[in-house]
Amino acid sequence: MNNASLLPIMALLPFLGALVPGLMIRAGRTACATFTAVPTILALVMLGLCAPDVFRGEVLQIEFEWLPALGLSVSFFLDGLGLLFAGMILFVGLLITLYARFYLSGDDPAGQFFTYLLLFQGAMLGIVLSNNILLLLIFWELTSLSSFLLIGYWTHLPEGRQGARMALTVTGMGGLSMIAGMLILGNIAGSYELTDILAAGDAIKSSDYYLPALLLILGGAFTKSAQFPFHFWLPHAMAAPTPVSAYLHSATMVKAGVFLMARMWPALAGTDAWFYAVGTVGLITMVLGALIALFKDDLKALLAFSTVSHLGLLTMMLGFGTEAAAIGAVFHIINHLTFKAALFMTAGIVDHEAHTRDIKRLGGLRHLMPITFVIAVIAGLSMAGIPLFNGFLSKELMLEEAAHTDWRGSHYAVPILATLGALLSVAYSFRFISHTFFGPVRDDYPAKPHDPNFGMWAAPGLLVVLVLLIGIFPQATVGPLVELAATAVVGHELHHWHDLKIWHGVTPALIMSAIAVLGGLILLALHRPLERLWNAVPRPEAKVIFDHVVGWAVAGSDWIAHKTHNGAISRYLAIFVVSTLALGAIAASGGGLAPATRALLPVPPLAWIGFLLLVVAAIAVVLLHRERFLSLILISIVGLGVSGGFVYLSAPDLALTQISVETVTIMLMLLALHFLPKSTPAESGIFRRVRDGAIALGVGGAVASLTFAFLLRDFSSISEFHLTQSKVGGGGTNVVNVILVDFRGYDTFGEIIVLGIAGLIIYALMHALLDGPAARRLRNWEFTQERSRDRHPMLMVIATRVMLPMTAMVGVYIFLRGHNEPGGGFVAGLIIAIALLMQYMASGFGWAQERQRIEYHAMIGWGVAIAGLTGTAAWLFGKPFLTSSFGYFHIPPIEEFELATAMAFDLGVFLTVLGAVMLMLYSLSRIARYAGETVNTAAMDYDPSQGIRETTEEER
Amino acid sequence: MLSEIFISALLVIGGVFGLVGSYGLVKLRDAMQRLHAPTKATTVGIGGILCASIAIAWLERGVASTHELLITLFLFVTAPVTANFIAKAYMHRNIEAASLPQTETSCGWAGYAPPPGENEPPSGDKSN
Repeated sequence: MNNASLLPIMALLPFLGALVPGLMIRAGRTACATFTAVPTILALVMLGLCAPDVFRGEVLQIEFEWLPALGLSVSFFLDGLGLLFAGMILFVGLLITLYARFYLSGDDPAGQFFTYLLLFQGAMLGIVLSNNILLLLIFWELTSLSSFLLIGYWTHLPEGRQGARMALTVTGMGGLSMIAGMLILGNIAGSYELTDILAAGDAIKSSDYYLPALLLILGGAFTKSAQFPFHFWLPHAMAAPTPVSAYLHSATMVKAGVFLMARMWPALAGTDAWFYAVGTVGLITMVLGALIALFKDDLKALLAFSTVSHLGLLTMMLGFGTEAAAIGAVFHIINHLTFKAALFMTAGIVDHEAHTRDIKRLGGLRHLMPITFVIAVIAGLSMAGIPLFNGFLSKELMLEEAAHTDWRGSHYAVPILATLGALLSVAYSFRFISHTFFGPVRDDYPAKPHDPNFGMWAAPGLLVVLVLLIGIFPQATVGPLVELAATAVVGHELHHWHDLKIWHGVTPALIMSAIAVLGGLILLALHRPLERLWNAVPRPEAKVIFDHVVGWAVAGSDWIAHKTHNGAISRYLAIFVVSTLALGAIAASGGGLAPATRALLPVPPLAWIGFLLLVVAAIAVVLLHRERFLSLILISIVGLGVSGGFVYLSAPDLALTQISVETVTIMLMLLALHFLPKSTPAESGIFRRVRDGAIALGVGGAVASLTFAFLLRDFSSISEFHLTQSKVGGGGTNVVNVILVDFRGYDTFGEIIVLGIAGLIIYALMHALLDGPAARRLRNWEFTQERSRDRHPMLMVIATRVMLPMTAMVGVYIFLRGHNEPGGGFVAGLIIAIALLMQYMASGFGWAQERQRIEYHAMIGWGVAIAGLTGTAAWLFGKPFLTSSFGYFHIPPIEEFELATAMAFDLGVFLTVLGAVMLMLYSLSRIARYAGETVNTAAMDYDPSQGIRETTEEER
Repeated sequence: MLSEIFISALLVIGGVFGLVGSYGLVKLRDAMQRLHAPTKATTVGIGGILCASIAIAWLERGVASTHELLITLFLFVTAPVTANFIAKAYMHRNIEAASLPQTETSCGWAGYAPPPGENEPPSGDKSN
């Protein structure tokens, strides 16, 4: 088996594993932690299997297609850089799991924590293994999301929530910027495969779009890696539990930005723009982060700003764009991981045992916590860059490289600032050690500090052993790995590789390093007066600025939302139609309108009459709309007029549908009007009326002229296809019906679902409404008019009984002939609904309800189910969803007839329509019940046959 | 030729009655009087047209057409109900119970008095 096939499994393992701890939250912390370690260990083993191949110089690759049309594929690759990062992520993940097991208290939901941790680990692994930049972006966003969950893990702490939000906002915005940059990059390179992009480095650098792509991608990398001026989110993310901080801010999350810059190095680095953007930002971040770190009293805040500073160092090294700097950066990534993770865990131990992280309240812990003290000293000296510790080696490489770097012609700017950064770094590292562990033992710690149990110091202990091993035997321990990863960063064989060693002779770097150490010690001695000065100088507070910006954004969005969504439907309609009108006007002014190809047909007097009737009725609705009953009548005239128009224009199907829809609508509206005020109060002023009138006329005119323009021109449309294929392909001569149930069956299927949902929503809304204040209003409803005493007149009841079978017959007839002649399930459903509506109106809902065998909800459900099953039945024959088939049958006594599967589909439509309409009626009757209507048990008010029956029984 | 005259006569009769009915709807004074006018149109008016339709199908094309009978049936069932309801609504809105003559039975007018066998419900009671 090829080892490359392990890559997707490796990337997927943490996600699969993430399901487990969350589910076994009750099994306790140990079980959760164990099951978190399992996928991590498995992935590490797989990585170990792949490692020999990578060390031989191979690049493992595997690709599966996902959305080839978008250039998105699930493709992974593993080279030296990926191996280094994947190893770090998994190795530190394992240590963090162990540490977190002992760090979390019994009250914390440990299952959740480990689930988030694995999600995050999977996202990070995905980033470093992806070979497709779109896939990489997906994982990139996943790290933002999962780190949000991790940082805000202690949801009861406001700092935790705010820190998590800030981290998500900043890194999420960066992610958006990176999406844009990556898309541009993929466009230049002509492929979204990372290996292709890296190979196209020269083409990318010479492209006009190089600069925007570079800046956008750097926007993503800088926000993730907390580079100036986006560094402010990282310290606030320190509100997270310490294992999270140790994981996110030493090995993973913030290194993702650095990883990306290293990954893109062959494609983007080496230009002036790269040098000045990346190198300068890195330099500023390094010095600024170190300066702030010196004056932080919170141990974790100090470490956070030192992380910012070290990330700046890495960024700067990558920005130099030279091979030696790339080697130094890769080496420092490893070293920073070891000492910083150890330091974070140490800070966590101090916090855990002493119940404070405030340096001002600590001191003298070396006697109380000797093991922790040793760990902190080793890691701290490494951070300071003292010889024999690994931090020294990579810092030497950095200073060496800085000594040779010119910045805008100046030989001194970069070396001096780099030395300053190193000097400040020495100062805060020593401060961390001396102010926490040295000095007299105090008697006012919030808790009695002591060394933690083995489980808690095992992970940092192991890390500082690595610090020492790498520091003393650099080439033997990590030399080959650094060489391999650096080769992957620069994208070709290294020309200037020297084995890593401690002593290089007296070089400029050594002198700068000595200055840094001495200067750092002096600064520490002067810390007290310097701190007073620092506190006296005003500084911009990033969180305040951030909160203000967020506040403005929220207020702005609120303003827009409230202006456009003020709850009045007229406002939405106005916005919608005016913008459509504007777009239409722009389109019309484009001048692309072909000259008319058809002449106007003669207009017979009948058409004129119908047209005038429509216009007059429409105007009358506008004038009389405050009288609601009258306007309903007028609306029904418009509906009839439109139906007549359809008949005149040879669209009997539409006419039939229109007329039945009109009937049902008017009936339901009349019933609803019963519970509404009978007239609309005049509320709008003259200005609004004129404005709304102008909008309405404008849109009406636009639609009319658009229609007119269309009718005067010949254009090819899909109608030709429908007309020719209706009989041959769909087996029906009624093209409209064949379109509905066959050609566009999917649409119809969606529409009946929508219709069913609408019916159910009306029912549900009514349910909610009748629990609230509306129910009280209804109970107190005073019918303004005196009500008639005969609610269910005999004549009406008898007539509807007589009509029922006839109407039902018409409905069935319309349904059956639908495929070939005007009709179909929709119209049939409406006709049957009308027949039933009449029964309900004549004899009352209570009486009719008792005689109804099928629940309307069930009817809707059956309708959708039948239509859907008809569609899926096509699968049994290996055809796509909703493929219809038909055949002609001949059973002797009757004529030859046709059966089509579309008919079953139409039955689904029929049932859904019927169910939805009846459910609406039912909802109305519920209102009536609340408004005090009594439930009738008899079919009619006075049944004369009842009297006759009684007399005959008496006579017997 | 003869059939043409016959069909034309039917059409003319139907048309005249339809016109008379519509004219009456405009001309007559109040709703109760106007109720009479459309009855001309719905019976002989539409009836004439429907008969003409049957005659055309039968005499000219030799097909027996029965659709028209169904339409007639629907009209005959619905027209009285419509008229009945219009009259009831009109009475309900415009005529006081006191101005109506006494009924000859123990029950009052439909719509004004409760139906037979049902007592007058206490007014204002809405508690189901």
